[in-house]
Amino acid sequence: MRKFDPDRPWDLTTLPTTMAPKGSKPHAPTDDRCFLGAGDVPAAPKLQEAVATIKNWFRASSLNVLAFGTGCGAIELRPLSTSRFDMSRFGISGAPSPRQANVFIISGYLSTKTLKRVIRSYEQMPNPKWVVALGSCTINGGMYWDSYNTIKVLDLYMPVDVYITGCMPRPEALIAGFDYLMQDIKKGEANGWHHYLENLEWYRDNQKKVITDWDLPNYSW
Amino acid sequence: MFDFNHSNLDENGNPGAEIVSRIHDRFGNFPVHVQKPDLIRLNVPQTDIIPLLSWLRTETPFVQLTHLTAIDWLEEDEFELVYLITAPSLCISLMVCIRVNREKAEAESVFNLWLQAETYEQELHEMFGIHFPGSPRQGVPFILEGWQDMPPMRRDFDTVEYCNRTHPERPGREHHDSRIYVGRKFGEKGYLK
Ligand code: SF4
Repeated sequence: MRKFDPDRPWDLTTLPTTMAPKGSKPHAPTDDRCFLGAGDVPAAPKLQEAVATIKNWFRASSLNVLAFGTGCGAIELRPLSTSRFDMSRFGISGAPSPRQANVFIISGYLSTKTLKRVIRSYEQMPNPKWVVALGSCTINGGMYWDSYNTIKVLDLYMPVDVYITGCMPRPEALIAGFDYLMQDIKKGEANGWHHYLENLEWYRDNQKKVITDWDLPNYSW
Repeated sequence: MFDFNHSNLDENGNPGAEIVSRIHDRFGNFPVHVQKPDLIRLNVPQTDIIPLLSWLRTETPFVQLTHLTAIDWLEEDEFELVYLITAPSLCISLMVCIRVNREKAEAESVFNLWLQAETYEQELHEMFGIHFPGSPRQGVPFILEGWQDMPPMRRDFDTVEYCNRTHPERPGREHHDSRIYVGRKFGEKGYLK
């Protein structure tokens, strides 16, 4: 990787854009520049800040929601994305595959069996990515608080950027939630994905406690 | 195959009377309960279930296994298996019920009569722990993954205890017993005060 050159501060290729989880290697040789390694020299702070602000501003208006419904709340995503509430007004659109998405809406209760698929999909999404948790089931178990098969606290298993209360929240509530998410992204505070990579072991421990037949790779690239 | 049709009504206009009398002639006097004109319940001893079902399947219009499920009679220490057998040409269903011991829960498989029974039996094995010897996919996980506790649909499985043990709760959640909460808010009779 090219080191930061103070004489060429406009050279943005030296800025780290994504991180690898601690202690893990990407499965294919990639451009080193994508990963923050020990030898990296950060760009000049002022410039870095300015670039980050611009990037975040762009990111906030390009949200692609993964087509993955887990609970009852998934039914609210249809009116949200189609003519009546039309989320594309806000620069939000749908994406069919985790490789092309950057927002994951956990739309309600999450059974341990689905949790495994959710983790797998979440890790496959490119950074930066955000998680919106919809409904009281994701917050404290909701009406499924005594179900043997659903988790109760979502943020033990994956980082959550925005919680939306309600059972079930209406599309307007979702739009309000997206509004908060966009503000957070613009301020550079929606860093759940960063937190996930830094605390991957803690998340893994929690995940393995409920997924008893664990057969996922160390990290689903 | 003898003919059944809607003209075989008894004096109450009950179209299932014909099949009930045939079953009684052939297999003995099982208790019969007509729940609805088109839904007849038969309580059958466990040993008679395979002869009865194969006779229904091969020689009568009752050719379709609509459902196979179980009921847990914990107090009587028994499982009740319910086979819902339908005659599509007559629009009548028979609920054939047998009782199996709860400790050694085992019943004969009807996989040879209806292939789809395989899935029902797989599910009953997983959810109730009832074993069907000879049925394929017994013990292969169906809905649960990596389940290590007792089958969750048995009534002595303590869901709340299991849930508190496995799924941590967020501190600060309040529980309201709905009967007390609604009573306090809406008065004894459920009207708004
Ligand atoms: S919060 Fe309500 S609507 Fe949403 S998944 Fe849970 S029960 Fe369903």
